[in-house]
This record gives sequence, C-alpha cells and structure tokens, in this order.
Amino acid sequence: MSIKNKYEQATPEHVMLVVLLVLSVVFLIEPIVSNYPDDARVFPQMTAAVVFVGSLLLLVRNYLPGALGTVVNESINITTSDSSAQEQVAQREAEQTGSAPKRTLGREYGYEVNDTVFMVVSSTIYFFAGWAAGFLFVTPLFVLAYTTWFRIRTAVGVGLAVLSTVIVYLFIEFLLLPLDQGQILDFSPFLEPIGLVVGVI
Amino acid sequence: MVVEAVVESQLLLQLDTITEGLQIALSWPVIGWMAVGLLLGIVLGALPGIGSPVGMAIVLPLTLPLDATSAVILLVAIYSGAMFGGSIAAILINAPGTESAAATTLDGYPMAKQGLAKNALAIATTASALNGFLAAIVLILISPILIGVVLAFGSPEYFLLAILGISLITIVTQGSLVKGLVAGALGLMISTIGTGILSPTPRFTFGQFGLYNGISFVAALIGMFAFAEMMKLAARSQIAESDIELGGSIKDGILTVFKYPKTVLKAGLIGMGIGMIPGSGATTSTFVAYAEEARSSAADGRFGEGDPRGVIAPEGANNPTVSGSLVPTLSFGIPGSGSTAVLLGGLLMHGLQPGPTLFGDQLQITYAIFISLFLSNILIVLVGLSVIPYASRLTEIDTNIIIPVVVVLSFIGAYTLNRNWFDVAAVLALGVLGFYMVRYNYSVIAFVLGIVLGPIAEENFFRSLQISGGSYDIFFDPINRPLSFMLVLGIVFILVGPFLKPYVERTLDRT
Repeated sequence: MSIKNKYEQATPEHVMLVVLLVLSVVFLIEPIVSNYPDDARVFPQMTAAVVFVGSLLLLVRNYLPGALGTVVNESINITTSDSSAQEQVAQREAEQTGSAPKRTLGREYGYEVNDTVFMVVSSTIYFFAGWAAGFLFVTPLFVLAYTTWFRIRTAVGVGLAVLSTVIVYLFIEFLLLPLDQGQILDFSPFLEPIGLVVGVI
Repeated sequence: MVVEAVVESQLLLQLDTITEGLQIALSWPVIGWMAVGLLLGIVLGALPGIGSPVGMAIVLPLTLPLDATSAVILLVAIYSGAMFGGSIAAILINAPGTESAAATTLDGYPMAKQGLAKNALAIATTASALNGFLAAIVLILISPILIGVVLAFGSPEYFLLAILGISLITIVTQGSLVKGLVAGALGLMISTIGTGILSPTPRFTFGQFGLYNGISFVAALIGMFAFAEMMKLAARSQIAESDIELGGSIKDGILTVFKYPKTVLKAGLIGMGIGMIPGSGATTSTFVAYAEEARSSAADGRFGEGDPRGVIAPEGANNPTVSGSLVPTLSFGIPGSGSTAVLLGGLLMHGLQPGPTLFGDQLQITYAIFISLFLSNILIVLVGLSVIPYASRLTEIDTNIIIPVVVVLSFIGAYTLNRNWFDVAAVLALGVLGFYMVRYNYSVIAFVLGIVLGPIAEENFFRSLQISGGSYDIFFDPINRPLSFMLVLGIVFILVGPFLKPYVERTLDRT
C-alpha cells in the first residue's frame, strides 16, 4: 500500500492519536530540556509515558500480534446491559429523526457546508473576535450569524442576540468582567452612559 | 459500659450534625437555589440534546459568587431535576433529553401514542421522585459507615485511589482498556501544566503567563461536556415534529406506580447500586432496570408496546443513581458519571475537598447535600406534575436556537473563572477533542477525572514519597499499609485482568 493510500485512509482518530503522541513527547522532553527539579518532573513524565505508549499501540493496533492485538482492540465493559433494548432505542431514534438535511443559508445558495464544521468555525471566529474586541459587541453578531445561517426566524434570531448581549452585559455589571474590552479594541467608553443609567435605576 | 457510652455519644454527635445539615438545607438562600436548580434541571433535561452534564457545566462558573453550600446544592438540584426532565422529551417526542432517559422511550412513547401521555409523564415523575426520596434516606443512613471508611485513607491511599478510579472507569465505560487509560493519563498529563505543586517551577508554560495557573479544570469540564455536546447536537438531523397530544390522566398515572411496588423498589436498588460504581451513570442503570423488569415480567408484559412497568423501571432507577453516584464522589472524589464529574469540579472550585474533610470538619455540608437531595425529590413531584400540561412546549425548541446560547455561556463562563483567555481557548480545543473522543469511544469521564484529580494525585504521590523517604515501597507494604496494598492489587487486577482473560477462559473450557 502506498503512502498516498494510507494518507487517504487516515481518520480523525489517527490525527487525534498523532497529536497525542506529539504532545506526550513534548511532556517527556521539555522537563529534561528545561531542567525541571525532580518533584516537578516525575509525575508529568510518568503520565506522558502512558499516553505515548498507549497512543502508539492504538495507532499501530492493526499490525499488533496475538494477545497484545486482542487486548488493545477488544472492548471491555463490565456493566453491559441488555443490548437489544439499546438497539431498539437507536432504531426508533433513527426512524424519528428526519432524513432531510437542515435548512441552511449555504444550502439555499448551493454551498454544502457540514453543520458541525460551521458550528466549530463560527465559534472559533467568535473566540478570536471576542479576544480582539471584547465579547460584548461580538456576541450579538455571532448569534445573529448563527441563527441566520440555520434559517431561524429573524425575530427569534434578533431576540436571542439581544438576550445574549444582556447576559454579557450583566456579567460586566455584576461580576465586573472587562468583556467590553478586547486585546486590540476597547469599547468600554461606549458603555459609560449605559452604566450611569443602570446606576441611577 | 464504656463502649455503650462511646457509641451513644457518637450517635448524638451524628444526630447533631444531621440537624445542622437540615438547618443549612432549609436556610435561605440555600433552599431558594435548590428550587432554582430543580426548575433549571427540569427545563435543561427536557430540551433535546441538553442533559445534566451540559447544564451543570455551563452553570458551574456562574456559581462563583455563591457560597459553597448553595453552589453545590444548586448543582445537585440541577442533576436531580434533569433526570426527570429528560423523560419529558423521551415520552413526548421519542427523543430523550438526556441519555439516561433513552430507556424510557421504549414504553413511554408508545403510551403517549395511545393517548396516555399524561399517565406516562405522571408515572415518570412519581417513580423518579419516590425512589429518589427513598435513596436519599438510604444515603443518610449509610453515611456513618462511609465516614469510618473515608477516615482510614492517607496520602498513599488517595494517590492510589485516583489511579484505581481512572483504571476502573476504563473497564466500566465502553471502548478498549488502552483507550480508557490513554484518556485518563492524558487528563493527568494536562493537569500538570502550570506552576508545580511542590516547587514553584513553571511547567509547560513556554513563557505564557496565562498558563502559569494551568488549564482550569472547570474550563475542561465546560469544553468536554458543553461544547463537545453542542458539536454533537449540530451534527444531528432535525427531530421530526411530534403529533402527540397530551391525553390521559395524571391521577391514574400516579396510582399506577403504587400498583407495582416490587418494580419500584427493584429499580431503586439497581439505580443506587450501579450509581455507586465509578464511571457507570444513569444510562447504564436505566437500561439494566428496564431489562430486568422485562425479563422478570415477560409472562404478562407488553414491553415495547406501552407497558407502564417499562416506564416505572427506568424512571425509578434514574434518581437513585444520583444518590448512589454521590457516594464515590463525595467520599473518595471519584465521580460515577459525567454529571458527578462536574459536581466534583464544583466542590473543588468552592474549596470543598472530597474525602476526610467532607466527612470530618465539613460533615454538616455533606448532610445538607443529602438532605437537599431528599427535599428536591419532594419538589420534583410538585413541580413535575404541575409542568406536565406545558411539557410539550419545551420539546419543540429548535436545537439551532440552543447551540449559540450555550456557546456564548460556555465562553463567558470560562472567562469568568480567572479572566484568562487560555481558559476560553481550552473550552474550544478540549471541546473538539471531546467530540472526537466520544466518537471513537475514548472515555471522556476518565479524561475529566484525570484533569480534576491530577493535582490531588500528584500532591499525594509526592507526599507519600516524602513520608517514605523517597521509597516506592510505601505503596506495596501489606503489613503497615494493608489498604494501600489492596488498592495496588486492585489496580493490577484491572490492568492485567484483560490480558489473562483469554488464558483463564481457555483453562476453564478445558476443565
């Protein structure tokens, strides 16, 4: 099998295991490179060793011999309940779930974007925008964008955006969190008049 | 004579502490937070895709301004309420709000289709609350025994117990043993980021001051339970609309539960027993209770076609699982499920240390938690039965409305913890990791347990070595530390058992 074929067969689990492998190597080597004292070094290295060996075994599990392969691949569950009842539930859920994909703005314009990917990408953008400009003014934009994409009624989307903004504002007001200030942009001067009004109330 | 006097004084002391716990549970605002938690739990449990772990995880950082007792009781009430709330969606739209309510769909939904939705919901409310109520009493009664066990543990035992807990979870949850161990070790490994516990060495911070305090375990809980669950929810196709009408009678439903006392008690025992096993939550207990009822009543049962016992059994098991899972969580810091993992996070976040402290100096708080569980089950009947007429509205909420709100609350909640952007980033990164861990059968609970117990395990590991002058023999000394030795044997048995299983089976076959 060529490397290209193997690359094509890689699943997200393989990617995850490679990430864990790299991470464990960092946790094994960094204490030596940075000369950590024993009481700061032993425990992370012990746990990293388990992650390293385990991830490696899982990565090459299809090539492991005999008993070792069985142990790595075999699923163990000491509290196995009636699987027929669980299968029945899964079957009914599948029947109940609509087969048609969700209505999205993208699909209406002929673009096929996976719903989970959209959720993660939009949340990531929300995180970075929140970091740069503060969550207060970014939150309604995120909620509106998300609800618009999934074709939620505009009134509901706007209502949710307002509700989310109010929640963020309450965090600023009562927990004194600087959510109106980002690492790049600072919108706090805009809030001063609102703060005065709330203070008077 | 002397022994009798000692026993009598101990009993009086226990009674005093229980009274103190009762006063705390009934005091204001504690009882108010309990009611809020219960309502919130019912609503969150009824929303398809949102269960108690998600609800508790997003509420967790919001409890920061509360006192420890109110915060923990709020979380326990959400947990308890969500157990009942999950059955609403299961019965009305055949889509369980929580995984623990999945078994309820088997007979609950057919009952609703036969025009008995109110009966099914009333059965669920009554069975869940009745057994939850009984289980809370059992929990209070067995506490004195737990106290003795907990106080016998020292540093080496606590370190080994954390390792045993993670090992046990790997064989209780689905998936291979190696996957579970990797997940648990990864959690422990990530918990070491930040300033060292015994020496002030910044570890794996790479010059970033934001990482000096490490990755908050609360952020990890939010990522693993709330964000990952939202990713799962985004992937799910829209639930087909239900055409169920709320027919039937609430009164008949309540009376049905009392017609089957054996079913109710059996479900309660199964729920509480399975709840005590680390890693096995209400999903397991409800299916086991259902399967047992279907087996023992097979002769006259119509299971799968709307048999009320098919609702009583899983619903009667779910709330006792809450009580059962509190035993390993509060006594040893080993959570029994995702929800108790979040609860454990809540305890630690508010400075309540599971184990000797909660069963020693802070015993009144432990009793207050147990008593609030007892009270919340009374409230479930009152609140649960009164929400039945409006229950269907909750299940009609579009999941795409829920997702952005949960994402916003998750991010803001994570930022609230330490005003640290790394915590928010951790929610995002660990959320994605959690999504794939669930997809490929890696135990999320083992990971979370690792990240929550990491600092405790590391501290006790080094404290043990300090006691022994650096010798690892302290963990393997059957004469001076028999408990520690037994825990080591337990870990070895769990880890080596699967390797020996094929040989043992072959030998048994031959004989």
